Amino acid sequence: MIPLLATMFKELLLLVRDRSGLLVLFVMPAVLVVVVSLVQENVLKATGETTMDILFVDQDHQNFGKRIQKELEESGAVKLLTTVDGQAIDAEQAQALVEKGRYQICIVIPSGTTEAVHQRAMDQISDAISGPSGVEKAALPHLVVYFDPLIQGAFRSSVLNALRQMLLVMELEMKARILAETLPVQFNLLLEALTGRPLTNPGSAPLFQMDAGWGTRRLMDVVAGQSRLKKLPTSVQHNVSAWAVFGMFFIVLPLGGVIIRERQDGTFVRLRTLPVPYLTILLGKLMAYVAVCWGQFLFIVLVGKLGLPLLGAPVLTLGSDPVALIVVVTFIALAACGYGIMLGTLARTFEQASMFGPVSVVCAAALGGIMVPVYVMPHLMQKISLFSPLAWGLNALVEIFVREGTLRSVLPELGYLTAFFAVTLIIAWAAFRRRDYQMGATAY
Amino acid sequence: MILLANGLTKTYPGARTPALSDFSLSLEAGEIVGLLGPNGAGKTTAISLMTGLLAPDSGTVHICGIDLFKRSRQARQWIGLVPQHIALYPNLTAAENLSYLGRMYRLSGRVLKERINICLEIVGLSSNARIRVAAYSGGMKRRANLAAAMLHEPRMLFLDEPTIGIDPQSRNMILDRLSDLSRSGTSMLYTTHYMEEAEKICSRVAIIDEGRIISQGSPEELINGHPGCDHLGAVFLQLTGKELRD
Repeated sequence: MIPLLATMFKELLLLVRDRSGLLVLFVMPAVLVVVVSLVQENVLKATGETTMDILFVDQDHQNFGKRIQKELEESGAVKLLTTVDGQAIDAEQAQALVEKGRYQICIVIPSGTTEAVHQRAMDQISDAISGPSGVEKAALPHLVVYFDPLIQGAFRSSVLNALRQMLLVMELEMKARILAETLPVQFNLLLEALTGRPLTNPGSAPLFQMDAGWGTRRLMDVVAGQSRLKKLPTSVQHNVSAWAVFGMFFIVLPLGGVIIRERQDGTFVRLRTLPVPYLTILLGKLMAYVAVCWGQFLFIVLVGKLGLPLLGAPVLTLGSDPVALIVVVTFIALAACGYGIMLGTLARTFEQASMFGPVSVVCAAALGGIMVPVYVMPHLMQKISLFSPLAWGLNALVEIFVREGTLRSVLPELGYLTAFFAVTLIIAWAAFRRRDYQMGATAY
Repeated sequence: MILLANGLTKTYPGARTPALSDFSLSLEAGEIVGLLGPNGAGKTTAISLMTGLLAPDSGTVHICGIDLFKRSRQARQWIGLVPQHIALYPNLTAAENLSYLGRMYRLSGRVLKERINICLEIVGLSSNARIRVAAYSGGMKRRANLAAAMLHEPRMLFLDEPTIGIDPQSRNMILDRLSDLSRSGTSMLYTTHYMEEAEKICSRVAIIDEGRIISQGSPEELINGHPGCDHLGAVFLQLTGKELRD
């Protein structure tokens, strides 16, 4: 027991004195949690919760343009800017500003849109009642949206769809209003034709009247289902889990480095002559670095609990099963340390380990959904991500934090992490034995 | 008998010839034996086998009567090794290094503290005990390396070129301390390329080449036994030849 604890203490002492190692292990994941949580929080806001600046150029200056402006402003999702730096902007200037990336979206209502839309509505209703007239209709007016070239995919589509939906409602309302004006007149004319006499005195209201408001009344709607979860997930919960796992796996660098340095500076030779099995020394290292992983996790949780709320992000909540959380964090730490031991045993030089270790962790993190959610990845990448130990750790933590998972619900991930830990140790042991076999050729 | 190595043979994987062949050596209590040989002669292999770092193809090693390969943990309790490299943690102080190694020998508390103080005193590092090894000079590192090997009071000390690359003052001090240790009953197997060192402190010298001991005896016996040689260096060159070794 004394050699085990002595080794653990020695490793912790060495790590405490390794300032760059401490920076990598503690400061890097904490900074990532803060920065990415706040960035994602802003992205969420930009895509839904609060305002996003959009340039708005109304060349129409009539009802339709004003109505679109009012609808957009009332939606609360955007802030329309008609001037930049105190100067009114035209379509060309607005387009240039968007192309430069200073603003992400610009909406232009071309001149004459109101008249064109009204005319088309009249024509369509007239055609519907009396049949096609054969007269050439006015061209389809366009509402023009310019996007920052960097805005792609889902966000671009969602903006266009939101605008299309708004236009559809306005169009329907306009058609209903024109129909409400036209239909009673047509109806009276028809009755007069049937009866052969005027039905009302000239100048008085027609007998048949129609409420134009029907066009705005919805027939069907879409609502988001209520989650059964007591607390909804936040960017903080995801990021604390993600970057904690990422930071814990960076333990490969100091742990692998210690093993390599011991081999290079000859300390390993002295250790091998001690009356203590090398397995005990290795176990001492493992315990020390698992403790460091726990330190990292607690530090990042503290940042999520105390630091991020000060910067306006939501407070971190840890789920409802502390036992499951303790087990999961310990197994992630074991998997990370197993990888570090394997790397330290396989790599011949510290340079090899310091190149391969971080790069492999960053790749596994990218594949494992630490940086980008797995569901947005291509199909093949999603399949590959199943083999990332960082994904297993992240999934288990998210299960506990967000889905209120229990020990039972994270059993598969715990199994994978255990298997990974076992495989890394087996590989490390095989490499160690092989090196042991060859060792006398170059040193002791 | 403190060390009894008998018929040690070792051939490395892929090698055509054995690195060590039928190597036998014995050391009495307090004896300092110099193991001299050119590069690649088999000195390191011999020490690796006698400290249990390598398993022999054949042969046995007994330390204080304990079979090193059958009861390695018990036998290693009596072994101290001063490797050629500074086998200490540079970011720990000398006291911290010794404290860690002492605990690995199951020393603790007051006993450990006393042993650390004594060993650092012996090698003249008491006043620098709280300084990290990385900040030591070459000579101080060598002395700390020696202190680490004698912390647990081993009966058998293996020293692999312990004075390489240091100034005459530090070398002189190390040799004096080794002589003191020898007088207190510690046996030592000492490898070096400095013949005058071997001549000064070794009671017996074994010259090894191509994996075999080719001659052994006290320095005087070896010098007297080889006409025309007036010092150990001349005997060494006569026995091992003057051509360069890789």
